[in-house]
Amino acid sequence: MFWTFLYVTRCSMTNRLRRRAQRLREPRYLLGLIVGAAYMYLMLFRRGVWRPLGTAGGAMPAQLAGPMQLLGSLFLLVTAAIVWVVPGAGKPITFTRPEVQFFFTAPVTRRELLHYKLLRSQVGILISSTIVTLVMRPATLASGWMFVVGLWIVLAAVRLHLMGVALSRSGLAQHGRSALRRQWLPLAVAMGAVSIVAATVLREWPALSAMPDFETVFPELERLSQTGAAAVVLWPFRALVRLPLSPSPAAFFANFPAAFGIVALNYVWVLRADSAFEEASAEHAERQVRNPRAPRPVARGAASAPFRLAPEGRAETAILWKNLILLGRYASLRTLVAFLPVLIIFGIAAQTEGSRGITRVVATMALPLAVMAVLLGPQAMRNDLRQDLAQLALLKTWPVSGATMIRGQVLAPAVVVTAIAWLLLIVGALFGGSLRAGSTENALFLRERVSYLVAAAMLVPPLVLSQTIVQNGLAVMFPAWVAIGSSRSRGIDAMGQRLLLMAANLLALLLAALPGAIVGGGAAFAVYALTGTIPIVIPALLAAVVVLAECWAATELLGRVLDRTDVSAVDAAES
Amino acid sequence: MIHVQHLTKAYGAFRAVDDLSFTVAPGEVVGLIGPNGAGKTSTLRCIVGIHAPTAGTVTVGGCDIVAQPVDAKRRIAFMADEPQLFEYLTVMEHLRLTARLYRVGDVEARAKTLLDELQLAGKEHALPGELSRGMKQKVAIACGLLHDPQALLFDEPLTGLDPLGIRHMKETIVSRGRRGGAVIVSSHLLHLVEEICTRIVIIDHGVKIADGTLEELKARPDLAAAGSSLEQIFLTATARES
Repeated sequence: MFWTFLYVTRCSMTNRLRRRAQRLREPRYLLGLIVGAAYMYLMLFRRGVWRPLGTAGGAMPAQLAGPMQLLGSLFLLVTAAIVWVVPGAGKPITFTRPEVQFFFTAPVTRRELLHYKLLRSQVGILISSTIVTLVMRPATLASGWMFVVGLWIVLAAVRLHLMGVALSRSGLAQHGRSALRRQWLPLAVAMGAVSIVAATVLREWPALSAMPDFETVFPELERLSQTGAAAVVLWPFRALVRLPLSPSPAAFFANFPAAFGIVALNYVWVLRADSAFEEASAEHAERQVRNPRAPRPVARGAASAPFRLAPEGRAETAILWKNLILLGRYASLRTLVAFLPVLIIFGIAAQTEGSRGITRVVATMALPLAVMAVLLGPQAMRNDLRQDLAQLALLKTWPVSGATMIRGQVLAPAVVVTAIAWLLLIVGALFGGSLRAGSTENALFLRERVSYLVAAAMLVPPLVLSQTIVQNGLAVMFPAWVAIGSSRSRGIDAMGQRLLLMAANLLALLLAALPGAIVGGGAAFAVYALTGTIPIVIPALLAAVVVLAECWAATELLGRVLDRTDVSAVDAAES
Repeated sequence: MIHVQHLTKAYGAFRAVDDLSFTVAPGEVVGLIGPNGAGKTSTLRCIVGIHAPTAGTVTVGGCDIVAQPVDAKRRIAFMADEPQLFEYLTVMEHLRLTARLYRVGDVEARAKTLLDELQLAGKEHALPGELSRGMKQKVAIACGLLHDPQALLFDEPLTGLDPLGIRHMKETIVSRGRRGGAVIVSSHLLHLVEEICTRIVIIDHGVKIADGTLEELKARPDLAAAGSSLEQIFLTATARES
């Protein structure tokens, strides 16, 4: 059976590569490949463009190896703990619908199916390891292969562990509530391990916080992690991380048995996991086909819509309403978790400044975040035509013009991003007064805070709207280039396409902002010539009006293109 | 009500529909049948404005689908073979959205009637992912019927429905025809077409090869030997063409 599975794996890979090669006959993919390959070359091989870790062309400096080991092992520990704490965080064994159709009905044992999935996962892990190694750019071939193989083993162990957690969970769930309660044991072990490490650090916190810099803190943290209970808890994680960071082949082979032993233990655990995983996998495969990203179910009687949609009124409002619901149904605790690193960094920054420094940190971070929201928000927030083009056939039956459709579609992301940016601007303005006296920021904020806030708030909607229109315009004019729905094309050519689109987006934004900037700038110059002062609100208002007028004109033009767009022009991305 | 004149739809060099002409009067239920790849779905999609015709014209209630798409679409309901629903909208939200787009004032009352009629009562707050295929089909039909369209196009309307749903669907199609709607039903289920359609259009390779009532088709000299059932007529007509 192993050879059968190897055959399927080989055929899948070969056919995927062949399909990607065939699509290069289309100019958009060929152009994408050229741009993507050039980008990869610059990122990975041009030493003058990007310097690797370390000064000697990529060799891991001895002083970095220790901290890397410590951070790596802590990361693995926290990951192992989180997958037990967060429901559904394990990585289940997933089969595609054809795999379920062919293999689950075939005379194949459960163990053979597991081996098949493990075999398939190794391909991806090996590619990831190679890419990471290329990015790290080790100095010699020897250190290169050690890093690739070492990282491969680390990732394989992580993959096996996540599989084991998912299998154990589903196994317990199938045995009812009483069995599920038995989950407390691994949960307690995981939390206990984290607590031991945390307690060790907390115990030494006064001494650590008194140290002047990281160069002294890290050696002390390393010492702590290698003594007492923390050393025992961290040993398996350190054994894994040590392997790719081995300084020599001799050290690599010395570290290999322990790391390989951990992989083997996880492998045995996965094989012995008591779970009828076939049913879960089949159900998962069906769910993937029906809807890869299912929205959250709606609680009866809950206020699930952003506002009540009146039966009469503009169609744009109806589309806005629909797309705001889309956002609400998909945004969840997981979305908030994605922002957790930012909050943690913010919290640490606030703590290091002391309680009085919190407002300063808020003020300092709010304005850059507002700028980021304006510049990156329209690209990230895709509850518009980029999502809906997958259902273009349905949209085409609606009795609305293309321009109305475009205006309705771009409203939802524009409203949400604008609200976020406004909130950040208000926060920045409110806390801006606490900036250090005498600094440039302070001088500006104290004198003109309100007028700057109003001017910025007026500029945000047209800037966000123009970018959202550009994004949607690209989707309408080049539907084959843009990721439609939640699908994403893969490969260097697809990456090159995305780079080209990003450049086109920037260019379009500059062109859209230029007339507004000229009018606003001209007005500011004229007012200054007459009065000797610049009331910044007036130029901002004029610039905003000009860009909004451009936006309206753009929706009219794009609407005509959308009216002419054939459903067959919107093809599905590679699955 | 529906006038299709010299309609051609080409995908590159391939002509899916080739110079097709037919009309559907108010109160008529026309069965559009043909073998796989005959151009039935392309024809329907051109009529409702999903595809732009390569040549020819389509008018619905006097409105050209290309020149006056908004007015034309306001008169149409298209029930696709695969129900197209937004995964993140509940059943009731689909109806509210449709009501706003088609300017239906009394949405709550109409929705309640339709949901009861289609056995969807109690599913108002369900997302499509929580519904069976047949129920999704019913939601799509409820959305289609909400604005009381003058022209109704059904593409394989019985797919995924249970026996009771099939009976209700047939009643819905027939009653819409009796109330003056111009109905086109595209289906491979010839017994359904024979049962509910007042006229039949057979197409093959994008070309119309027969058009008339079942009696008129039976009486045609070239099909007279085929037999009395639509199935026999269809097989004879399409075999000759291919």
